[in-house]
This record gives sequence, structure tokens and C-alpha cells, in this order.
Amino acid sequence: MKKLIGITVFLILLYVALLNADPSASSPQNHFNLGKRIGFFGLLSLGAGLLIIAGGIDLSIGSVVGLSATCGAMLLTGEFPFYKHPVSPWLTIPLLLAGGAVIGWIHGILVTKMRLQAFVVTLCGLFIYRGLSRWLAGDVQQGLQGQFREWKQALYSKPLIFDVADYTIRLPKFFLIFLGLLLIASVILHFSVYGRYWFAIGGNEKAARYSGIATDRYKIAAYMLCSMLAVWAGFLYLMEQDSSQPSDTGNFYELYAIAGAVLGGCSLRGGEGSAPGIFIGTAILVLLPNFSNMLGLKSELEYVVIGAALLFASMMDEFLRRRVSSG
Amino acid sequence: MIRTTLLRCAGCILLALATLGIVDDRAWAARQEPIRIAFISNNAFDFWTIAEKGCQKAEKEFGVTVITRRPARGTPVEQRRIIEDLLTKGVHGIAISPNDALNQKEFLDEVASKVPLITQDSDLPPGSKRLCYIGTNNFEAGRSAGELVKKALPQGGQVMIFVGKLDVQNAIERRNGVIAALAGVATFDEASKLAAGSYPLKIGAFEVLGTRTDNADRAKCKSNAEDTLVKYPRIRCLVGLWEYNPPALLAAVKDAGKEGQVLVVGFDENEETLQGIKDGFVQGTIVQQPFEFGYQSVRILAAIAKGDRSVLPESGIQYVPHREIHRGNVDAFRQELKELKGK
Repeated sequence: MKKLIGITVFLILLYVALLNADPSASSPQNHFNLGKRIGFFGLLSLGAGLLIIAGGIDLSIGSVVGLSATCGAMLLTGEFPFYKHPVSPWLTIPLLLAGGAVIGWIHGILVTKMRLQAFVVTLCGLFIYRGLSRWLAGDVQQGLQGQFREWKQALYSKPLIFDVADYTIRLPKFFLIFLGLLLIASVILHFSVYGRYWFAIGGNEKAARYSGIATDRYKIAAYMLCSMLAVWAGFLYLMEQDSSQPSDTGNFYELYAIAGAVLGGCSLRGGEGSAPGIFIGTAILVLLPNFSNMLGLKSELEYVVIGAALLFASMMDEFLRRRVSSG
Repeated sequence: MIRTTLLRCAGCILLALATLGIVDDRAWAARQEPIRIAFISNNAFDFWTIAEKGCQKAEKEFGVTVITRRPARGTPVEQRRIIEDLLTKGVHGIAISPNDALNQKEFLDEVASKVPLITQDSDLPPGSKRLCYIGTNNFEAGRSAGELVKKALPQGGQVMIFVGKLDVQNAIERRNGVIAALAGVATFDEASKLAAGSYPLKIGAFEVLGTRTDNADRAKCKSNAEDTLVKYPRIRCLVGLWEYNPPALLAAVKDAGKEGQVLVVGFDENEETLQGIKDGFVQGTIVQQPFEFGYQSVRILAAIAKGDRSVLPESGIQYVPHREIHRGNVDAFRQELKELKGK
């Protein structure tokens, strides 16, 4: 875990700075908001991180989020072009996840069996899925139309409340969902054969294949997981926002997902990374815009703050790593 | 020897095919000769669905073919590509809502020298070669929104403005309109001066905290609103200038449990905004008439293509009046909208 020292220190510094930026930043409501956003973007970064560790990349994450949210809304309200009857959420969720699995499987097959570049395959995916959701929805916003209150409450709006001493802690559902999945991912990644193999494949695919690992199978699995997590995030998006804009929902989210994973120590060369790192990377990415808003900066300056802070984090990370490894 | 003969034969056949192709193309053009009008939006939002209905009505009425295009990401680059493709294909008129009026002027002037070009929804800067502008007077619309804010907060108070981008002309005009109404100034220039000042901007009983942009990402707009509600607990009114803003603001207000305490004022006719008005959480919304944008654009371009230039307004600007939707008329408006979308 030595590798995480730099970004952990940075996250702590950022958090302290945030609390000092404005008195309201330390309010329970702000923490609730932050937790919710970490939960959402964390899901995307987790998928991207697992895949990056296994030596892959997925640029279609944002479009898959959009497609999932749009199709989810249409299925639930019975507006899906080929099936005009409302589908129960109990069926919609597995359907969407199956769709995500198919998308990931196709990516995996094209990358492993057809030997296409992952960058190209998923970039094409980015265009195709965006176009598909626009076409399926007829470029019209799709929403829940005020229905599915209990699902919204179960997955989003009703936080888990418990009292610790004098404090009432409200944990957002998104955060809990993410933590649960992160825990499972940690076990798989760091304590199971699957994880070992992913690290091995990401580190040196040829060596892994020659040592008898069915590299293709494990890579395809990583692509499938990434797309399924994106689909799940898309469904949660729908639960929070109530509606999906086929042409905009999820735009550029792949960048946040990849940035979160890479910031958290996943190397784009593959074979490096960790589940806690993904959490920290995501948290930094979520805290930065909030920090900018709490400072009351003009929106124009927000990206400058984010970019400069990320650059600073990377520099500090590199510096501390060298100190640790030389000392 | 045989090889050269074969090559010659192949060449002849190719030439014949090419000639046939040209002839055929000409014959086709002579036979069809439809007047093709292009209608280009500045993003892919729902708003344009209604505008396209207006196009369709005019299409039937004036016997022309309308090609509608919606750039998915809402960038000038996309619009340029769309126009270049359309010019290659051949169109008799273009109506466009420019994404970045200031910097697209040169390119669009060049297009206007080849094909009749009008702007709709958002105009080019003065001195451009566009034939006319059809759209809302966004400054006046902003002013009406400002009046709604005054109604929402008779005692004054803190206000934050939310919009996708602030480098789009209609966003600037609406924002300045809101500020003009709150400050009680008359002209756009006076309001610009105020808006360029330092924030929070204190005008009379009102305090405009700033303008938050979100790059047309609805989820980001909601996050911005959540942060605003946390940072400024005394805030009483959120103003959303683009179609998806008011629903995102309303969602943030509801999540914070402040519905009714913090009122939303908005633009356009998103279904969630209208429901918010009915529920009493949205003070009101200023709607444009996109149907008229589409209809008038096609009407004018069709007439020009047929050689009749008398349809052009003398001032070069044809304003389509905006409307104020509030609790009193929201039901009737919803019904009207349903019929419009159903057609």
C-alpha cells in the first residue's frame, strides 16, 4: 500500500482545505452529497480500473451509461420501440445487465479474438451506443414520469440512518452500493485467482499465456464487468435524475472513470492498481468541483482548479513514492 | 498484346458507365428538382422536436423538403461538418441556430454567399450576411424571468443563476435580462455592465450570487445546485436559463427537502418544469415558441428559393413573442403542448 501514500495525503489535504473553504462544507448535507457522487462515479471508476489492471481500456463507458439510462426509462414506462408494455423493474434490471454483459462480451471478443485495438473498438462503441440511444428514443428525453417512487427510495433517496453517540449519520445508498461492490472487487482482485490472473495479464500478456492462463477468457470477463458496472450506474443515474437525455446523459463520463482509476494508481500500461486506490482516486475527483463551488469560485475557473490540483497530486505522488522507495 | 486490349476495353466500359452516370444524374435532377431546406439546431434537446413539427407543417404547406439536423454534442465543429455535407448534397436554404455566434460568423458568412441563410433561436453578431433572424428576444425573455423572480421573492433575497454555457449569445442575453429586471435598468448595455461586475452582485433588495455553468450536463447542473443550497442556506430562488436546468434545479431542491422554500424560475417547457409549476415549487417558466421557429424559417426560406424576397422583415429580425407560464395557465398550456407533440 506504499504506492497510495501520495494520493492519500493529497486527499486528506484536499478534505481539510474543503472544510476550511466554507463553514457549510462540513455540514451533513454536503457530506451526503459527496458520498452520493463518490458512489456514482466510483462504480464507473471501479469498472474502468479492473479493466485497466487487466491491460484493457474502455472509452464507451459514458455512452453505455446513457444507453442504459435511456433504455431503462423506456422499458419501465412502456415506451421501448419494440415492446410497448411497461416492464417491471425486477425484470428491467436483469435485462439491462444482460445487455451490458453482451456489450462487454463483444468488446472482449473483438479485442482478443479479432486482435483489434481496445482503443478503437471501444471508441467505435462510444459512437454506436450514443447513436443507438438517440435513435431508440427518437432523440426525445425519456423519464420515469413520477412513477417508481419506492424504487427511487430504495436505491437513492432514502439514506441509511444510524446514530453514533450524538450524531445522526445519513449514508447515501449510492455510497453503500459502491462500498459493497468495491469490497467484492477487492476480494476478487487481491485475494482470488481471477485477480492474480488479471494482474499477470496486464503486466505481461504473453508471459501469462505461456504460463497456461486462458488470457482471452479473463480479459473478456474484465470487459464484461466494466460494461455491466456502467449499465448499473446508468440505472442509478435514472433513479437519481428521474430522466435521461439520449444525446447527453453520460457524455465524457469515461474520462472521469479512467481519470479516477489512474489517479488511484492504476497504470495505463496494465498490471498495476488496487481497489482502495480506485476509491481514493474517485474521492479526489468528486471533492475537487465541490471545493471549487464551496470557495464560491466562478464556474469559468473550476476546470483550472481541477486540472491544477490533479497535476499537483500527481507530482506529489511521484515525489513521495521516490522518497519511500529510496529511503 | 491481349493485356493492353483488355485494359482498353475496361477503360471504355468505365468511361461509358461514368457518362451514363452523369447523364442519369442530370435526368434525375431535372425530373425531381425539389426545394430542399435545411434546419439545423444547436443541440439535440426535446425543444427541437417541437421546432421540427413546425418545419413539417410548413413542409406540407409550401411543398418543399426539409432536412433537419441536430448536432449531438452542441459544438460549432459539428455544425460546420453538417453544413459542409449539406452544401455537397445541395440545399436551397439553411436555417441555423449558431452554437458560437461570434466565431462562426466568418464561416457562416461564407456559406451565406452560396446559399440563402437565416438564423433562428440564436443570432449572429451585427454586420453578418444572414438574411434575417427568427427567434425570441432573449433579453426581453430574461427580463420576464426576472419579473418572475420578483414575484417569487417580493421581499428580495439571494438568487443564483444556472445555465449550460455562458459563451452562447442567448445565455448572455437571458442572464442580462434577469439582472436588468432585478436592477430596474432599461438597456442591454447597462445590464451587461452590472453583470460584468464582481459577485455577489447586490442590486436593490436582491443579491445575485453568480452564474454556474455545467456544459449542458444535467447531472452536473444538479450537483452545482446541491452545492449552492449547502453553501448559501439563505438562498430563496434558483434561476435556470436552459431547458434542462429547471428540472435539475427542482430535483436538487427536492433532495434537500426545500421544495416550496426555495423557488425555481425557468425557461422552456420541460414536462418536469410544468409539473413543478402545478405543484407550486416552480414560480413560472418563460417559454419560447419553437414551433414558430421551425414554421417561419421554412416559410421564409421556401419563398426565397422560389424567388420571392418580400417575405424578409425590413429590420432583418422577426421576433417570435415569448410567453409566461404560471400556475394559472399551466394546464391549458400542457394541453396545447400535447396536441403540438401529438400531431
